[in-house]
Amino acid sequence: MSTFSRRGFLGLTSAAALGAGLSACTGGGTSTGGGATQAASNNLRLFTYEGDETIGLLKAQLKKFDEQNGTTTTVDSLPGSGAAVYPDKLRTELLGGKGPDVWRIWGGQIGAPFAKAKQSLDLSPYYSKYGWDSKINTQAIGGMTFEGMKAGVPFVSLGIGAWYNKSLFAKAGVSGPPKSYAELEAINDKLVAVGVTPCGLGGKYGWDIMRLFEYLLEHTAGPELHDKLLTGDESWDRPEVVEAFALFKKWQDKKWLPQGALGLDPADIEPAYVQGKTAYTITGPWTEAAAILSAKKSSSAFGTFELPTDKTPARHSGFVEGYMINAKSGNADKAAALIDFIIQPATQKALQVTASTVKGAEPDPKTLPLAAEWAQKYGSNPFYTIQDQAFPKKQADQYFSVQSDLLQGSVKPDAAAKKMQEIVSAWAKS
Amino acid sequence: MATTVALSKPKRRGRWSPWLFALPALIVYVGFLVYPALSSLWFSLTNWDGLSATYKFVGLDNYLKMPSDPVVVTAVKNNLIWTVVTIAVPTVIGLLLAIALNGKVHGKPILRLIFYTPAVLPLVSIASIWGWLYNPQYGAINSFLRLIGLDGLAQPWLGQDSTALWAVMVPAIWLRTGFPMLLYLAALQGIPNELYEAATVDGASKWQQFWNVTMPSLRPAHYIVLALSLIDSFKVFDMIYAMTYGGPGTSTQVMGTWMYFNVFQYYQAGYGTAIAVVITLVAIAVGIPYVRSQTKEAS
Repeated sequence: MSTFSRRGFLGLTSAAALGAGLSACTGGGTSTGGGATQAASNNLRLFTYEGDETIGLLKAQLKKFDEQNGTTTTVDSLPGSGAAVYPDKLRTELLGGKGPDVWRIWGGQIGAPFAKAKQSLDLSPYYSKYGWDSKINTQAIGGMTFEGMKAGVPFVSLGIGAWYNKSLFAKAGVSGPPKSYAELEAINDKLVAVGVTPCGLGGKYGWDIMRLFEYLLEHTAGPELHDKLLTGDESWDRPEVVEAFALFKKWQDKKWLPQGALGLDPADIEPAYVQGKTAYTITGPWTEAAAILSAKKSSSAFGTFELPTDKTPARHSGFVEGYMINAKSGNADKAAALIDFIIQPATQKALQVTASTVKGAEPDPKTLPLAAEWAQKYGSNPFYTIQDQAFPKKQADQYFSVQSDLLQGSVKPDAAAKKMQEIVSAWAKS
Repeated sequence: MATTVALSKPKRRGRWSPWLFALPALIVYVGFLVYPALSSLWFSLTNWDGLSATYKFVGLDNYLKMPSDPVVVTAVKNNLIWTVVTIAVPTVIGLLLAIALNGKVHGKPILRLIFYTPAVLPLVSIASIWGWLYNPQYGAINSFLRLIGLDGLAQPWLGQDSTALWAVMVPAIWLRTGFPMLLYLAALQGIPNELYEAATVDGASKWQQFWNVTMPSLRPAHYIVLALSLIDSFKVFDMIYAMTYGGPGTSTQVMGTWMYFNVFQYYQAGYGTAIAVVITLVAIAVGIPYVRSQTKEAS
């Protein structure tokens, strides 16, 4: 009896441990991708990552939509989570069979898996019905079209540039933004000389500090080669890439980046230019509302400029964000109507969208003067796909790892270029 | 005959009654543990991306490619370091604190509270607090080092491969010391004073009393502390995820985070699940001696 009990207990305990461990990595063990199509109703659910400063505006507009259409739209938001976390939550909801009817998502390789897995609806019929093709910027639509399928409706096309603190530039004797890469380097030296860290970027997650490297690559490789590198049509093992990696290391060695930048959280270091701890950062127009205005600072104390590449055409990094519709939603028509409502110029203005893809929805210079200035000066410039959307997450992480090794000195620029070629060619072949 | 029937009825009821009582729990157990576990085992043999409706059976491919994955090698090494350090250090410190607090110490309840408080703080809060303490420019640790003239020791603690894992282990030790301290304290209070009196009469020094009276009496507590610490160490995920996100690069990846990255971020649910299976099997293997010891005692 005692032998049986012990074995039984061991067996049961082992099974329990096996069960507890394994069950932690499955969302219920179904492979159907979330079950059958949901029943039609007047209830819509929208999932987004809208921040606290704008979620109220969105809810107000959705209420307006509900009043006009007899629907009840609820909003779930995961603010500040970034592209590293938000897609996981969305994926889990979809697999659980209770996915939202509409969700906000980034374009490129972040949104692509949802289209590839057929979790998002092909929106071509709605593009025809609502005439979105003629209302929305064509390049932006391309950012949410995957293997020919229009899987999303981009409503924002964001450009990445430098956002700087005017008083710190003045402290260093800098009269205005740089016109060339050499001038930017000279500004960095002047800032360091007066004890100011020039560029506030953080390496935790990889994507923030990547914005510097992709700029340097645009500077050394130029638009045509840069684009081919991102698609794997040209080898990374080449002098232009080696030079970009060498410059990247130079930025750290000359203390143009914060000390220990690799371990810093972007959420902590990006707003440092508003706090006067760094002179500038590389970010998008959302920073005006999220960092400047939320800190009760005046936009007039700050400025923005496109990072000079010395190449023609002048380009900056950019990406799109838009909405997708759940392929299993029972309310696809209403969801499409909701998206159409959101991309109306009046709604876009009410939402204070800083870089709308819709004509007639330019940012209001009175509310967001810097975002309006950016849109006016650089909004029509072409952009290259931001690199964490150009590569799938796995390859992007491998790429961040190369950057990390380079900045720590364990890999030289030429070896980094070779490693990148291995990563990109393996992806291109897959 | 009538007597036989009368006796057999209660016997039958006795045989099935335990199962009837256990049935509700068994249903929950099967539904929420056994079924998902078997599903996971199945998915580890497929190439499922974790999002699509379809997948292919790939046999043991996911398991076979693990040894050639350089991040798995890093993660296994980090898991081993993590396990050894975060078991040994909190256990020793916890024991020392328990011994100190078991004596005549002023403010004992307050000290207990202070030492145990980190254990009840949310891990994400701990990660955030320590993330700021480690901030290379403005963090308290580097500021203190500079203040006392040790500028050379100021480091980007979380921003370089050589220190990142160790830097994450410090708060892990900090928060995990309170638990063994409490268990040891309870065990110490259960040791009869007569044993120490007898040892004193026999001429045993304090050191000899510790090794020959205290430590043997703490054996059951050692089992519990070590087993629970071991399980805790294998589960490491949240501290790494919140403090370094596996970086810089992949230098602080552990098996738990690498499983998560593959399942939830890289759309390689099959491979990620295979990693989960391996973690579970290893955890069971190292947990068996503890289970055996407990069942021996029970029997």
